[in-house]
Amino acid sequence: MANIRPFCMPKWGIEMTEGTIAEWMVKEGEAFSKGQVLCLIETAKITNEVEAEYDAVLKRLLTPASEEAHPVGALLAVFADADTSDAEIEEFIAGFKPAETSVAAKGGGSAPAAATATPAAVAPAPAREPKKIVTNRAISPEALKLAEAEGVDIEPIEGSGRNGRITYQDVVQALRPERALSFNGSAQLVEDSPEAFASPLARRIAAQHGIALAGIKGTGARGRISKADVLALVKPTMAAAPAFGAPFELVSNQPQVQPFDKVRKVVARRLTEAKQTIPHFYLRVSAAVDELMALRKTANLVLGAKASINDYIVKAVALALVRHPDVNVQVHGDSVHSFPHADVAIAVASPKGLVTPIVRQADRMHIAQIAATTRALIDKAQAGKLGYEDMDGGTFSVSNLGMFGIEQFDAIINPPQGAILAVGGANRVAVEADNGDIAFETRIQLTMSVDHRAIDGAAGAQFLQTLKGLLEAPEGLFA
Amino acid sequence: MAKMMYRDAVVSTIAEEMERDENVVCLGEDIVGGMGTPGGPEAIGGIWSTSTGLFGKFGADRVIDTPISESAIMGAAAGLALSGKRPIAELMFADFIGVSLDQIWNQIAKFRYMFGGKTKCPAVIRMAYGAGYNAAAQHSQAVHQILTGMPGLKVVMPTTPADVKGLLRTAIRDDDPVIFLEHKALYGVSGEVPDDPDYMIPFGHARLSRAGQDVTIVSTGLLLGFCEAVADKLAAEGIGCDVIDLRTTSPLDEETILDSVEVTGRLVVVDEAPPRCSLGADICALVAEKAFASLKAPPLSVNPPHTPIPFARELESAYLPSVDKIEAAVRKVLSYR
Repeated sequence: MANIRPFCMPKWGIEMTEGTIAEWMVKEGEAFSKGQVLCLIETAKITNEVEAEYDAVLKRLLTPASEEAHPVGALLAVFADADTSDAEIEEFIAGFKPAETSVAAKGGGSAPAAATATPAAVAPAPAREPKKIVTNRAISPEALKLAEAEGVDIEPIEGSGRNGRITYQDVVQALRPERALSFNGSAQLVEDSPEAFASPLARRIAAQHGIALAGIKGTGARGRISKADVLALVKPTMAAAPAFGAPFELVSNQPQVQPFDKVRKVVARRLTEAKQTIPHFYLRVSAAVDELMALRKTANLVLGAKASINDYIVKAVALALVRHPDVNVQVHGDSVHSFPHADVAIAVASPKGLVTPIVRQADRMHIAQIAATTRALIDKAQAGKLGYEDMDGGTFSVSNLGMFGIEQFDAIINPPQGAILAVGGANRVAVEADNGDIAFETRIQLTMSVDHRAIDGAAGAQFLQTLKGLLEAPEGLFA
Repeated sequence: MAKMMYRDAVVSTIAEEMERDENVVCLGEDIVGGMGTPGGPEAIGGIWSTSTGLFGKFGADRVIDTPISESAIMGAAAGLALSGKRPIAELMFADFIGVSLDQIWNQIAKFRYMFGGKTKCPAVIRMAYGAGYNAAAQHSQAVHQILTGMPGLKVVMPTTPADVKGLLRTAIRDDDPVIFLEHKALYGVSGEVPDDPDYMIPFGHARLSRAGQDVTIVSTGLLLGFCEAVADKLAAEGIGCDVIDLRTTSPLDEETILDSVEVTGRLVVVDEAPPRCSLGADICALVAEKAFASLKAPPLSVNPPHTPIPFARELESAYLPSVDKIEAAVRKVLSYR
């Protein structure tokens, strides 16, 4: 049994209609095993890894990684057992009918054919037919196969093989985009000195560190002083401070070029889009949190909960959102979606970059439940295991940089959400007490970035009033 | 420091060494050049003027004019070396090596090894090689790839007058046979030469003539100057080339090449010999094997085409690796993606 199975564009959320393959981790013809990451798929909202659900071989890769979006249900690749013949695969592709797609919770694989509430009428993307190349150019068989599969025009290629024959490497080069190169430039040339038998690099390093070569015993070829011999004498300490009044010397300051990885690219693109296209306005307020801090201490003891100040802020935000439905919104093009409950996202720094998992219906949760939920989401984010379902949707984000001593900052809205709250650290500030004396209290600064397309200034301000009230009289958070 | 021509560096080094050690003798065709008129204008000293004045200084016992028989010259050099002399044999054109190959390859190169180290063979065999002189296919070849592949021989290819001085002195004092290749297009090139009568450059010790961090260019002889021109042109664009003058192809300074490629990740070898089984191919293979992890582009060797050297001036300049061809090759490895 050949066990041929299709791999289609998964449907990860009710609003997902199409996706883009950012990268394949498995090559055509390669075997993979259950749990291995097959590819990286980008949607309008997130980038997610697709894990294999079973062991098989990637027999045919129909849609290579590109900027092109493919509809949900489109056939992306064909998996089968290793011994499956090409003819069987071709037959399967020819006869393939896309299944009705339901929401897949985890990655792709063969989407189960189940009726969905909103059947998406999706035509499969036509598989790329290898384009037959007729040429009298000399070209290696593998190079021709690759050029046909990828649709490479071989005519402009200058073959590097014998008599201009095109090699596989030449076609791979033609497929790669031109890179902007950065050069490191010239280096200092250290003159050969007859008294020291040393390699050029050893001489250069010696000159850099002010080491005299005369007395060194070389361990290199033919008793020559090598790089290693000089480096052994370079003290690993800091270079001595230049004498007072010595002229300032410029040292090499070449950049290290690190191209964005896939995830960083997506984050960069979406933040740029958000900042450029959403008309942000900012509302600032500060709240006294002495009572909240005292209450948190007591509550943690009484409830045995490990809730952080941020958990209380999430709870307060959720309650305030429910009381102000005009702020509890998502903005989609020219319509506004408002929700009865508050799904609040929290910004978490993960090894893969900034992620915003969501505490669902935080308004209905008890503080201990919020604490448990945020803990679980943060752990998942740190492990790089957050899935689409953890990050999809939400109407509002809370971003807290208080732990780094930041007093206040302005955050960028996470579309399609309507607003984001930037929370600073708690500070002791002097205030006028009731009797006219000076007293000290602990305050935090809150800055809300608001999407002016859907939320007006007054609505945002009233929401913040409610939020401030909830934080300053925190017993309401246990309602 | 004195300024002198490449050819004068050869003559003066031989003279200094003959002065220092009475066992040093010279032999070759026409090296007396104008017998009986020592130092006179007719005494040209070989067709390259690389033994001018030696006959007048050292006489017929130590400066030996030979018949036109390369096998005899090399055979005599082998015998002289075995019997305690230090012969410097001139072959005139390197292309004539064919008729004396048995003496060089099967005798001189193998004596010390086959006699179990009980004797040595300190012969220096000088020859003029290289194209660019419009001397046609039998008088223009670069023979280093043949000789470098022979175990038992040391092969030297100086580029500057100072290197002639330091390397020829090392060759004469070396107890093993040394092939000393002089590029005929460089004889008239001048440069500063150290005055130290003991100035020596150890074999297997390459010279860095330009320092950069983006591409390693390895060459020798006439073509090294072309590589330097390319390096200077690219330096203006912020591209840094390490230009390595090998000086000796056997022993080969692997360490300097690999150290450089570990920094630059790119290699272009510029070699005057034909491409098949060439020095360029050898160094590309070395780097592919021992610096694979550092490479950012395939290593490249620039050679003439695999043909005899043409006589016509235009064809000869099309045959040799030119500055433009070297620059194109360097840009090719720089733009590899």
